[in-house]
Amino acid sequence: MVAIEVTNRSDGRAALTGLPRLLVVYTIAISVFLIAPVLIVMIAAFTSGDFIMFPPGGFSLRWFDQVLSDPQFIVPLWNSVRLGIAATIISGLLAIPAALSLVRGVFPGRRWVETFLLAPLSLPTIILAIGLLFFASRIGLSNSFISLLAGHVIITVPYMLRTVLGVYAGVNREVEEAARVLGADRWRTAWYVTLPIIRPGVLAGAIFAFLMSFDEVAVALLLTNSDTTTLPVSILSYLVYNYDPAVAAISTIQIVIVIVALLLLERLFGIRHLMFASQ
Amino acid sequence: MAISTQETVTDGRKAGRANLGLLMGLAPIILMLLVFLVGPIWVNFIESLQAPDGSRNLHQYARIFGDSYYLIVIAQTLGFGLAVTVICALLGYPLGFALARSEGMVKSLLILVVVTPLMVNVVVRSFGWMVILGGSGALNAGLVALGLPKLELMYNWTGVTIAMVHVLLPFMALSIASTLETLDRRIEEAAMVLGAAPRSVFLHVTLPLSMEGVVTGGILVFTLAIGSFVTVLLLGKTSTMVLPLLIYQQLTTSSDWPFAAAMGITLLVLVSLVLWLQSRLRTAAMGARR
Repeated sequence: MVAIEVTNRSDGRAALTGLPRLLVVYTIAISVFLIAPVLIVMIAAFTSGDFIMFPPGGFSLRWFDQVLSDPQFIVPLWNSVRLGIAATIISGLLAIPAALSLVRGVFPGRRWVETFLLAPLSLPTIILAIGLLFFASRIGLSNSFISLLAGHVIITVPYMLRTVLGVYAGVNREVEEAARVLGADRWRTAWYVTLPIIRPGVLAGAIFAFLMSFDEVAVALLLTNSDTTTLPVSILSYLVYNYDPAVAAISTIQIVIVIVALLLLERLFGIRHLMFASQ
Repeated sequence: MAISTQETVTDGRKAGRANLGLLMGLAPIILMLLVFLVGPIWVNFIESLQAPDGSRNLHQYARIFGDSYYLIVIAQTLGFGLAVTVICALLGYPLGFALARSEGMVKSLLILVVVTPLMVNVVVRSFGWMVILGGSGALNAGLVALGLPKLELMYNWTGVTIAMVHVLLPFMALSIASTLETLDRRIEEAAMVLGAAPRSVFLHVTLPLSMEGVVTGGILVFTLAIGSFVTVLLLGKTSTMVLPLLIYQQLTTSSDWPFAAAMGITLLVLVSLVLWLQSRLRTAAMGARR
């Protein structure tokens, strides 16, 4: 699936030929290392046996059947999707206006503001998680979803901001100036000119932000209760007491969701730009 | 009206109204971070000053730094972070090099190979390593089939390190690749034209010029390694304790909030020290280059 996708997009040139043979061998070996744990989970999910074992004892979809009818996994799956979408939308609403202000604005302390806004990227999430836990109990916030959502917005908003900043910084400001000269006010210019131009960056940032929320464990582990449990947390707590192909099946479902999102990202924006621009 | 707007724009000056608009764009995000990032860290700090007798002092910190167990955990956390960083640098350099220098379809495929595991959550990846490294896992099944003895790879530092390197290697490789991509190839060509062998071009030109990517990636890997606990929780045992896992356990099993808060602040200070060191290193490197 991945290979086909890439073939469609490439120019088909032989590419590793310029590299030393030893490096080619190494790259293949390390690629196997990187893919192995993801692949092995997917293989283990299709077993017909009662245990995770190698080689797997026959092919069946029974564990997918079981997992997809088990509220222990399905409820957290929807919780995760809902949480991810909510965090992404709020991140977008916060990050897009901020990016417009940061790129076009000339004001003292601009770099400090940018550093502050990207700071959550280098903060270990466990610190944010315990801080939010104390904070919620201190201000009497009993709703676990609100503090969970707030935590995920803090985690996703820098990714959104960085992606939009990267795209918007390359936009020629004369286009916006032309709109202003022709009589459009600030808001109309932003809505009809700027936003359509930066749309690929917004979409890429949104998918990236969703993935970050969808995969997040530390904050969710400390802030969810039985009603708001997310998928990674439910997989983790299941894994502490059980070790059977059901975990592999639900993990495979999550992996497939992630791969679909990644391919979407590649189509819309090019992972290459996102990854390299984001350094 | 139209004319006045035009003047503002063409002058590039910011009138009062323009600045107000800018502030309005930044206000919500800054407010959000102040309330839900700075606020919680502040509450965490206050909580950590809470002594058992109700007074506010450094009692919890004295507990951490006065007990050899906690000092060992802190040392293990830093040592583990350093080991993972060094391994990631050694494994990640050639991978980053291949990423930067490959083209077309191979490059796209390599990027997907590097990015896909990065996006699969840590629980699932750790589970994958449990399936591979476990006592009757895929690797040992292979070894037995070949008539070789089984290996003890899980519930020790080996397993935790393998899984953590897997989690963090993509960050290192991408960081190195992005530095190599911006490197001016003509410098290498110049060295080649002047008679340097490919090996010495790499050692004396390419490698020194790409060290910035190694340092950036290294700092990122180190801060992430000393801050994450899921991998250690699933693949380690009680002797492979690290600070973030200890914080998690203090919260969930012993419910000792002030103590957990003090350890959280300790971890935050460690991470901040590393980031401060990075900015010092970067400033020093830029000074040296000039």
